[in-house]
Amino acid sequence: MVSDVATRPRAPRAAGRTRHRRSRGVWPRVWHFLSFGAPGVLIYVCFVLVPIAVSFGYSLTNYNPFNPPTRFVGLRNYQLMLQDDAFLTSLRITTILTAIVVIVPNVLGLGIAVLLDRRGWLYNALRGVFFTPMVLSSVVISVIWTRMLQDDGPVNQVLRALGVQDPPGWLSDPDIALYSLATVLCWQMLGFCVVIYLAGLSGVPKELMEAAAIDGAGPVRRFWRVTWPMLAPALTVNTVVLLISAFKIFDHVQVMTQGGPGTGSTATIAFLAIQTAFVDNHQGYASAEAVAMLVVIAALTAVSLAVLRRREIDQ
Amino acid sequence: MRRILVLGTALTVAGGLSACSVGDQTGGGGQSGGSGASGSKEITFLVFETDNLTPKFWDDNIARVSKKVGVTVKKIVAPGDRTAYAKQLLASGQFPDVQIGLQDLPSFDNGGNLATFGDSELSQFLCPKCSAIKGRTVQLPANTQTWQVFYRKSLFQKAGISAPPKTYAELLADAAALKGKGIQPFVIGGNPSWGSSLPWTGTLTTDLYAADPEWMHQRREGSTKFDSPEFLKATQKFADLAAKGYLNKKDLGQSYDASQAAFLDGKGAMYPMGSWFAAASDASKAKDDIGIFAWPADDGSFHLPSFTGGGLSVNAKSPNVDLAKKFALAWQTDKDYLDTSAVADALFPAIKGYTLPAKDGTVFKAVYDLYREAVDQKATVPAFGWEQGDDGMIAGMPDKWNLTAQDIITGKKTPKQAAGYLDTEWDKSS
Repeated sequence: MVSDVATRPRAPRAAGRTRHRRSRGVWPRVWHFLSFGAPGVLIYVCFVLVPIAVSFGYSLTNYNPFNPPTRFVGLRNYQLMLQDDAFLTSLRITTILTAIVVIVPNVLGLGIAVLLDRRGWLYNALRGVFFTPMVLSSVVISVIWTRMLQDDGPVNQVLRALGVQDPPGWLSDPDIALYSLATVLCWQMLGFCVVIYLAGLSGVPKELMEAAAIDGAGPVRRFWRVTWPMLAPALTVNTVVLLISAFKIFDHVQVMTQGGPGTGSTATIAFLAIQTAFVDNHQGYASAEAVAMLVVIAALTAVSLAVLRRREIDQ
Repeated sequence: MRRILVLGTALTVAGGLSACSVGDQTGGGGQSGGSGASGSKEITFLVFETDNLTPKFWDDNIARVSKKVGVTVKKIVAPGDRTAYAKQLLASGQFPDVQIGLQDLPSFDNGGNLATFGDSELSQFLCPKCSAIKGRTVQLPANTQTWQVFYRKSLFQKAGISAPPKTYAELLADAAALKGKGIQPFVIGGNPSWGSSLPWTGTLTTDLYAADPEWMHQRREGSTKFDSPEFLKATQKFADLAAKGYLNKKDLGQSYDASQAAFLDGKGAMYPMGSWFAAASDASKAKDDIGIFAWPADDGSFHLPSFTGGGLSVNAKSPNVDLAKKFALAWQTDKDYLDTSAVADALFPAIKGYTLPAKDGTVFKAVYDLYREAVDQKATVPAFGWEQGDDGMIAGMPDKWNLTAQDIITGKKTPKQAAGYLDTEWDKSS
């Protein structure tokens, strides 16, 4: 009874306090959002969404800053693009480059991560070695590799020393230049894949591996049945990051080949868009190329994510 | 605490909104219009750096000329292709007050972005209407550059060649002799792509421009095409040089610096290049072993590709346009600048009454003498791919022409296909 008396008058007060808390609870949340979330949102809106919207707007015009006036042309730029050999070639080049850069570092990165998934100073040092290209500027890497791959550069000097009479023109042969470029990109992205897979490997419970071993599973079976399914999230991250990085590649092309040798050898969509905008001055058309690139990247990323996430759930 | 949060939020929103606001897109003046440290007006000046045109070269000349004019100059160095960079600056409303050596002038001039220099302002220039656009001079025709073939005398001797070729047949015979001795006949570059097209400039000089110096005007009017007999003949000659291995396809992976070093290191016997290479030649150990000759014609007639222009231009929308023009004119007629640019970059000043400084440079002297000889014989013709203004290709085409040269060298395109491609691209760009 005492307790009843004690609690009864408290009940409405408690309810009132809750209401008060709720009413007081909204504003701090708003303030917290404005103070912590707003800067990020504003930056994102200003530097991502607004430029994308402006680019899309330009892509519907014949905008050429050197040849006014600007007129609305609707979807004509997109129609022209689908018949433009230069754009279709750059789309093919970019797709080949992306396929190589998504597959090779993923496969090699997984293998190296498995080999480096041990304790000890040597393994720590090797992890650092593999990750170093990732932290270097793309321009620095491109300059270094351009020197390495020149006809009389270190790569061909080694080949000549090994008895190769006529080593390839790594950057001068239009049939090889794209693959040289892809190799450099793979080399740079390899460290990223290794680190992500190492993080994934560290999350594989030892108990599962031990249980599998007790059940008689050998190293290969343990990898495919236990480790590989547990690495599904790492595969998703690597694939999506590599896909986006490769599809919008520009700086390596600019420094190493400038889209050449000749026409249609290594000109990716991003490189072509810059050329169209600032050499040919067709900024409306270049905006259409950039929007097309964005749409393709978004579509490929969405499909990859859907497929890889389903795999994560299935596992 | 709440006050701090409110203040922080307000500042963030204000900052964000100001970042979103659209800036002045008029392309006028960039960061000009301010007052320099001394209280004088400040103008911006777009320059570019090379092995020959070093930061010190620009700083020394800017310091001297700006003092003479009484203006503070803010130097902007183009990070790469100066013309593409200038276009980016213009598109973002930061077009500098003064620029040097801009290419694709008609594009810049289309929007009324370049100031016109009047006849009285051009009274000191030898060729006031060189590189003019519809009769208007928007870039000071300050210097002349020429294109010729540099060759290594010792390598010629090694191949049993006693003198440089006078006819195209002799050039082919010499190239064959050099190749027979295991010497690479020509050195070219690939990156930037214009390093690959210089032999094509040579064949177009003798087989196209020598007969018809107005060819490009006709192409602009649409009365001729790349797919014309005279253009194809010159292109076939260029393609044959590649097919015979006289041009090394692997050189296409070579940068400009690397190609220059390759020639100076004796890795090839002939190097078609602009007059500016004289400076590097004279600075090298091989200077006494380097000679020059003009690209030879079938009949041995003498023609030298040359270009006069490439000087300073002024932003017509600059708030300090008069001051910028005053600076530009003072720069282009400054004796010390003319001397240093002639010495550093083998730019031959096209200024009345100017005489070159006495210079201890055998290659420089040889290049200049060849130019004077061409002027005396009225043998100068436009340099294909390097023309400007009404004399040049339309926007975007020089790059496509240079890349097409690489396609011809690698055998990816026949001369006929190359000409067809250029015509198609021209139509798309116009």
